[in-house]
Amino acid sequence: MKRFLVLTLLAGLCAMAFASAAPAAAPADVGWEFPLSGPYGFYAEEMKRGVEMAVDEWNAKGGVLGKPVKVLIRDSELKADVALRRMKEFVDSGIPIIGGNLGGGISMVINQWANKNKVLYMSTCHNSLGQGPDWGYYGFTTGIKSYMTGAALADFAFEKLGKKWMVIAADYRWGHDQVAAFLVKSKAAGGEFVGAIYTPIGTRDFSAYVPQILAKKPDFLVLSVFGSDLVAAIKQFGELGLSQRIKLALPKTAMPIMKECGSAYNENVYGAVTWYWTLYKKYPNAKPFVDAYMKKFNRPPDADTDSGYVGAQTLFMAMEKAGTRTDLAKIIPALENLKWDLNQGPEHFRKCDHVRTQTVVILQGRGAKAKGWDLATVIAEVPPSKTMLPCDVDRADSVYGPIRNKLPGK
Amino acid sequence: MELSWEIILMQVIMGLALGAIYVLLASGLSIIFGLLDVLNFAHGTFYMLGAYATFVAISLCGNFWVGIIAAVIIVSLIGALFEMTLLKRLYGTDQIYPLLMCFGLSIFLPDIIKMIFGLVGKVVDYPSLLQGATFVDNLILPKYRIFLVVLMAVVLLALYLFMKKTSIGMIIRAATRDRLMVNCLGINVSRVWTVGFMLGVGLAALAGAVAAPMVQTIPNMGDEMTIEAFVVVVIGGLGSLGGAALGGLILGQVVSFVSLLAPDWSNVSIFLTMALILVLRPRGLFGEEGRD
Amino acid sequence: MNAKKQINEAAAYKPYSWQTVLEFRAMWVVLALGIVLPFLVSKPLATEIMIYALFALAFNLLLGHTGMISFGHAGYLGVGSYAGAMVVFYGGVGVWVSLLAAMAGGALVAVIVALLAVKRKGAYFAMISLAIAQMLYFLALSPFKRWTEGEDSLKLPPLSVDFPIHLNLSDQMQLYYFVFVIVALAVLAQWRLLNSPFGHALKGIRENEDRIRACGFNITRIKFLSIIYSGLFSGLAGGLLAIYLGAASVTTLFWMTSGVVVMQTVLGGTHTFMGPFIGTMVFLYLRNNISNYTDRWEMWVGAMFMALILLFPEGLWGTVMQKIGERRRPSAS
Repeated sequence: MKRFLVLTLLAGLCAMAFASAAPAAAPADVGWEFPLSGPYGFYAEEMKRGVEMAVDEWNAKGGVLGKPVKVLIRDSELKADVALRRMKEFVDSGIPIIGGNLGGGISMVINQWANKNKVLYMSTCHNSLGQGPDWGYYGFTTGIKSYMTGAALADFAFEKLGKKWMVIAADYRWGHDQVAAFLVKSKAAGGEFVGAIYTPIGTRDFSAYVPQILAKKPDFLVLSVFGSDLVAAIKQFGELGLSQRIKLALPKTAMPIMKECGSAYNENVYGAVTWYWTLYKKYPNAKPFVDAYMKKFNRPPDADTDSGYVGAQTLFMAMEKAGTRTDLAKIIPALENLKWDLNQGPEHFRKCDHVRTQTVVILQGRGAKAKGWDLATVIAEVPPSKTMLPCDVDRADSVYGPIRNKLPGK
Repeated sequence: MELSWEIILMQVIMGLALGAIYVLLASGLSIIFGLLDVLNFAHGTFYMLGAYATFVAISLCGNFWVGIIAAVIIVSLIGALFEMTLLKRLYGTDQIYPLLMCFGLSIFLPDIIKMIFGLVGKVVDYPSLLQGATFVDNLILPKYRIFLVVLMAVVLLALYLFMKKTSIGMIIRAATRDRLMVNCLGINVSRVWTVGFMLGVGLAALAGAVAAPMVQTIPNMGDEMTIEAFVVVVIGGLGSLGGAALGGLILGQVVSFVSLLAPDWSNVSIFLTMALILVLRPRGLFGEEGRD
Repeated sequence: MNAKKQINEAAAYKPYSWQTVLEFRAMWVVLALGIVLPFLVSKPLATEIMIYALFALAFNLLLGHTGMISFGHAGYLGVGSYAGAMVVFYGGVGVWVSLLAAMAGGALVAVIVALLAVKRKGAYFAMISLAIAQMLYFLALSPFKRWTEGEDSLKLPPLSVDFPIHLNLSDQMQLYYFVFVIVALAVLAQWRLLNSPFGHALKGIRENEDRIRACGFNITRIKFLSIIYSGLFSGLAGGLLAIYLGAASVTTLFWMTSGVVVMQTVLGGTHTFMGPFIGTMVFLYLRNNISNYTDRWEMWVGAMFMALILLFPEGLWGTVMQKIGERRRPSAS
């Protein structure tokens, strides 16, 4: 019995330790989460830095509504359960606005949950947040609708790279969105589609596809994959001489991708991004952002830094405008009517689907000529008017949806 | 799709090159398991270290070949350090503890690499000698892939000679069979184990070093390689070098041809192959009775 | 008076070892702690602790109690999760049927693993189970994407329970107690299972397989059953996870899920009943907090895990039991 008492006492002590360390009443204004550990750590960290820069900027001028803003940033580990738990914890501790995440699948789960529970969610990645059943009043995105980069790149490619095309696509929603965008644009521009290969995420060897690609002789190859897969594909296509013969079109690229491919990321590689740092020459408002980042981290920011930064900026602007830090009934309309001019000229959230009117930037690789972080040349900017579909079309998903559901070669 | 003989031949070559990486990885794993009875869960981590060591060596001296050799040596030494300070204490306990120790290392090390080298991966370029491909009609003969196949053959031959002809190789083989007996003969088995572990992780590092130009060199690059090495070893039979070699080559061809015919099954195919072999030959191709 | 004497005599007879008695009490203490857990940590964390604790207990059925190293438990959890979510999503059935389907899903994977590997031991079993789980991950990711929705997760509508009482499972508190009650029942069921003759046979296999075989037991059959039981309980945890998340996610099937459950179990102590439960509580709590301070928390987790293996291979609860045992020995002999 004595032992039992000791045990109970121990359990009680444990419980007290738990209780004392349990989340203290220190809620922030916004709770962010990014997959800081794991394979997408780089992009997550960029978004995190963007958010932190916005916070520092506001607090340097006195905060929002005269009080410093506070954000919490947590690791979502690229796992749906952890991501959802973090969000719930934010909301439990009294934070009404959440944001962040990377990866279409996870951000859609969060978006659905946020809409079910009436929490404002500011997403920062490429996803289908404003489309079909995924649309919800409480979701905003400073990333982009997945198909927009594909559509922009397709416009560019059919004009400049040729008509005969082939695609290697990652076998998930984002990859399929790009194929659908290219198929639609191809029909309009008189392109000739010669084949599609769908690879599972995590494919490391692309050399096995080279013989069939060469046999079909396309003008350009759309590489609708990302991360490790994309780097492996570009390196191997460079090695096997494919990217010397055929142009590569990347619906999504990023600075680490260019960096990690080294000289294989050559002049034949065309990629779409939402933002690139040399744009500060064109948009003077971006200069302080780039300078501050360079000073702090010794290299220029990436597109994901911009989406994190703009996400936090717009939230703070809307709070300031609405005159409240917590009342969503006022903050959401303020966000809907917000106009800003930060890193890429005047932009706003489309009122009907809460998606940022994002211009897509087309970059051409520099190969061995790349110096430091000057990795690519901006060769085109495609305005949202050319890539965004009207909201009712998106809501019904009537242009891309039917094609995505019946992809050729699936 | 038309399957011309060129495509088939190229697919075979790509599969061989892919298999070469598997063979290098799995033979290292097999040696370690055969000798130490330790399932090296950090094998992919040493593969990753091999790639990073190559990068460091190349940026210091600028030569790919020196880079590869340096990588093997550096990683073997790291392996020896790990074996002597941490792993050695766990011999003689339940088989699971050394395994878990390796698993812990595989979680620990990638973060260390992230802290040293940052989150952006590193570039290891193809040596200029092996860049590009020879084109014969529609047939591509990629130089680097052919080099990989040759390298694998050379390494396997060297391993075979090392095991059969040198005295330390003989001791390793003997210790694999019966370590107690070898100990009784007055041989310091403990040192043999260290050498065996170094040899095993050295092979993993070699695989990482030669794979580095072809894949993204990031701290997490080895995570799934461990599992694929396991599959090869299960197919070949645990502890058998010949099995590891044959298993690796089979998997290379399987992945290559499934990628051609049904790309979305390419990742699944290696595991299906393993399941099939387990049904047909539960001990793997060259698995021995009594070692399971 | 006589009755009391009889009771005293019965107590002196000690049909259960002191370990069993201690574990039994620990189980009740931990379950009692479970009642107040959502007030001590955040409700979602408490829910996750319960689900993963059940998963760890199921896992330890193999590792700790039968002595088989499984590195493929993500497969049981993930398939359970998908099975549970799919019958709701495609079949429109209720939560209880979904949990049954989840258990069936977990058990089905267990049967496959058992058929392929039940005769393999040690590292061999670890490799095969890991490979099968990884195969399931890739299957869900790409070839079976049509049914699993792959990376996009299979998202469920809001769920509620009407029998025996009405519960709204979108409410975090009600969800927690729903999960808690099921987990508590499952823990009790496992306790019964392990203290049955079957459970003792399992322990016997772990300690000395040949002796148990010599006693006339069919080792393969017992191991087969133990894998299936483990699959059943893991599947149940998976079904709860799908309900808790409101989605079945492919990340559940990823091999790291297996790695994490191994760490939780070893942290608590494999050779104990409640160890995995306690290990899960400590592990999830610590991981949650370390990652608030550093992005490189995996390094700390890895380092602490290696230190644990070297210094306390019996785990936290296992070491406590060991110490108590050492103190008892002089008097107990």
